[in-house]
Amino acid sequence: MSPVTVRDVGPLARLVEVAPGTAAAWATALRAADLPGIVDIVPAARTVLVCCGDRSTAAAVTSAAAQIDASTTGWAVDREHDRAVVEIPVVYDGKDLDDVAGATGLGRGEVIARHTGSSFRVDFCGFAPGFGYLGGLDEALWLPRRSTPRTRVPAGSVAIASEYSAVYPSVSPGGWHLLGTTATRVWDVDRDPPALLVPGTEVRFVVA
Amino acid sequence: MTGGAALEIVETGWSTTIQDRGRPGFAHLGVPTAGAVDQPLAALVNRLVGNDEAAAVLETAGGLVVRASGPVLVATSAELAPRTLAAGGELTIAVDGERTWSYLAVRGGIAVETVLESRSHDTLSGIGPPPLAPGVRLLVGIDPATAVTVDVAQQRRPPERVRVWPGPRVDWFDIDAMAHLTTGAWTVGTVSRVGLRLTGVAVRRQADDELASEGLVAGAIQVPPDGQPVVMLADHPTTGGYPVVAVVDPDDLPALAQRRVGSTVRFSHAQ
Repeated sequence: MSPVTVRDVGPLARLVEVAPGTAAAWATALRAADLPGIVDIVPAARTVLVCCGDRSTAAAVTSAAAQIDASTTGWAVDREHDRAVVEIPVVYDGKDLDDVAGATGLGRGEVIARHTGSSFRVDFCGFAPGFGYLGGLDEALWLPRRSTPRTRVPAGSVAIASEYSAVYPSVSPGGWHLLGTTATRVWDVDRDPPALLVPGTEVRFVVA
Repeated sequence: MTGGAALEIVETGWSTTIQDRGRPGFAHLGVPTAGAVDQPLAALVNRLVGNDEAAAVLETAGGLVVRASGPVLVATSAELAPRTLAAGGELTIAVDGERTWSYLAVRGGIAVETVLESRSHDTLSGIGPPPLAPGVRLLVGIDPATAVTVDVAQQRRPPERVRVWPGPRVDWFDIDAMAHLTTGAWTVGTVSRVGLRLTGVAVRRQADDELASEGLVAGAIQVPPDGQPVVMLADHPTTGGYPVVAVVDPDDLPALAQRRVGSTVRFSHAQ
């Protein structure tokens, strides 16, 4: 296990640099360290940001991170919670399905098969409340974002871009390739937690 | 619970919203913190009317006129002293020549429903009570039954230089990026609840790579490809893809956030 790099983000926050795909596990492990005074733990693509209410907690994060081996502890903590795999039914009627089929050289049916055949895990949330970046997409479907983003993508759109898939939680602009739509609400402020796709959650898409 | 009185919004200028201490703890779900841009000033107007510092207040950048339905005790950031507003009485908060963000507290607080534990409107995601518009009636919360112990408050003197710490991606920039940032004069270009854009001699990058999006804090100074720094404020996105060259010291951030468009900002290296 190589030593972890922890960068100061001002006096009240630390940025822990982690291997791609391990940020959610690191976030779980850092949360399990249970340091009083931590306000937010924000996994992203290759980092975990830890925001603290005071300077001494931020300093403690730096030493705590050095003690963590997230490859073993992170998912062990999650398994104790025995989280179920979230299944998301999709109507594969997306506006970009044909373009994706063309760009990947796969037929429509094969695109759907590869998408439903991928085992996803929420790596992190960002862009909008409840927008989870789902890692684990079949590599045959990795495509750069659309060259021209749409100004309006409907809520419930199921999309892919680079190594991720996602479900748009609310209507927003967006540059991802739209494969279909789901009736599953991934964001609801009256639900606890409001996001269905919290970091670490395992996800599969199924044909509705 | 409400105290029976209400404030009716008569006129609103730009960015007039309800704010409290925001919704920390939800950033991992992509939810911005929001909350009053100038937290110490919002806390002060609350104390002036005997409220808990976390009570919801009105924040405005472009001015505000309210009318009271019954007698209420209020305090504004312009007057910094409590006063009673009689039934039917109107109160105007003009655009402040010194600061961008002004506040109005009412004894009992603004009693709108909380969303994710906060009454703050988040301009980035739209979460929370909608922005205020003429005709909106806001119920006032129940009297806190506290003594009002402060009747005139001292104004804070803004720091001459805003202290900044080297950011997590300072090594993506020219070796003298911190010196460049702290010797130059910067002009406030635009300001919103999301961030404050500075203009000046561009901060130059050393690395041209694309940064994978990473978590942001309020006070982070992001540098987009044009080299003009953007300081993250209350409604900043939870993650961003531009490298953060420096981070404003949290103690100096409220004063920086208050600088008006066109004013000059100077930084110093925090120790």
